Amino acid sequence: MTDPKQSKITESEAIERAKQGDEAAFEVLYNLHKRRVYSLCLRMVSNPAQAEDLAQEAFLQLFRKVGTFRGESAFSMWLHRMTVNVVLMHLRKKGLPLVSLEETIETDEETQKKELGADDVKLTGSLDRLQLQRAIDKLPPGYKTVFVLHDIEGFEHNEIAAMVGCSIGNSKSQLHKARLKLRDYLKSMRAEKAENV
Amino acid sequence: MTCKEVQKVLPEVIDEVWQAELQNHLESCPACSELVADLELIASEARQLADSAEPPPRVWLGIAAQLRAEGLIREPKAVPVPVAASFRSRWSAWLLVPVAAAALVAGGVLFTRKPAGPVAITPKVENPAQAANNHGSAQTSQKTANQVVADRSAPRITNPPAPDSVPTEMVSNDDDQQFLQEVGTRAPRMKTTYENELRSVNSYIRDARAYVAQHPEDEDARQHLMDAYEQKAMLYQMALDHIQ
Repeated sequence: MTDPKQSKITESEAIERAKQGDEAAFEVLYNLHKRRVYSLCLRMVSNPAQAEDLAQEAFLQLFRKVGTFRGESAFSMWLHRMTVNVVLMHLRKKGLPLVSLEETIETDEETQKKELGADDVKLTGSLDRLQLQRAIDKLPPGYKTVFVLHDIEGFEHNEIAAMVGCSIGNSKSQLHKARLKLRDYLKSMRAEKAENV
Repeated sequence: MTCKEVQKVLPEVIDEVWQAELQNHLESCPACSELVADLELIASEARQLADSAEPPPRVWLGIAAQLRAEGLIREPKAVPVPVAASFRSRWSAWLLVPVAAAALVAGGVLFTRKPAGPVAITPKVENPAQAANNHGSAQTSQKTANQVVADRSAPRITNPPAPDSVPTEMVSNDDDQQFLQEVGTRAPRMKTTYENELRSVNSYIRDARAYVAQHPEDEDARQHLMDAYEQKAMLYQMALDHIQ
């Protein structure tokens, strides 16, 4: 989608021009990062309309503060963190738990039983990306938050712990359980598909 | 190391270098080995989702409108519109209405026709400059087509259309040019924005259409093609609202 005129501008040039109120520069920055920002919002809330609103809010917050950007950190990292904050704020306002409550309910024995008691369907080989997305959408909010931030967005456990307000151990545990749940969901989907063929 | 011990340490070591002890167990235990392989597969595939979804044009249009309202966008000097052009554009703006309607009909056709045999669709050939600009580069085009189906959870469709029923030119390039000319006349400052959005949504339609052609039974792909046409209709409608 990037306009040829726009693509000649580097990100740092676009930032400087955006500080002067140049609309084309804002658009260059938007085009450079729109997919990443929108995808993050969409994965976290699993609702396209809400994801659009959140992506818009993240970019607006960024553009309002672009005058203060001095380049100490990468621009994409700055935007990325701002987007996560916007989404987490939204989830908090909705009263959704950022850390799954299942963590405190499930016993170790139950977890181990789940892990070892997997059925005969195998995931080995490749995963259907659409199925993976659907499975992520089904995750409980807390698991989803940690999984998206760690496995999709690449944040470290200490960063996640600081952002969502939990311990590093809890973040690791939630991630592991999220992956186990996804494995279950994906196996069920695969088994269902095999039955229908 | 036992299976039980493996389960206990797995959350801690899944992202770390395997300890020799654990590695030995995995080599001799198919169940644990399969579990670890599955979890690693999920984690690696998840990385591919980081920028898989394309936001609709209205997101940027909303941002631009808000930046303008807050005075963060520096307005260029207004260009006076000649009286004759203004008079002409007053009536010609109405031409946008049937074009927007056509885009919606194009999408609607997808859900009303009965399936037929799979027939390949030749995607519309655009000029090279435009093609190169769609979604950054031609290299990402195929990736985008694959991702199109994965962007949203879509409602089920009971009567899938056949790929050969997909309209290819319901909203023609001429209509787009007329649309841009109209926007340029009535709202010159918005022309570049709409031009970029139009290019983006046309690319979205083309990718979605190509994917439907390749996967005629994929309900999500057809839903995304419908979404793409709706986005184009919405773009026309937004322009109409803006210039009236």
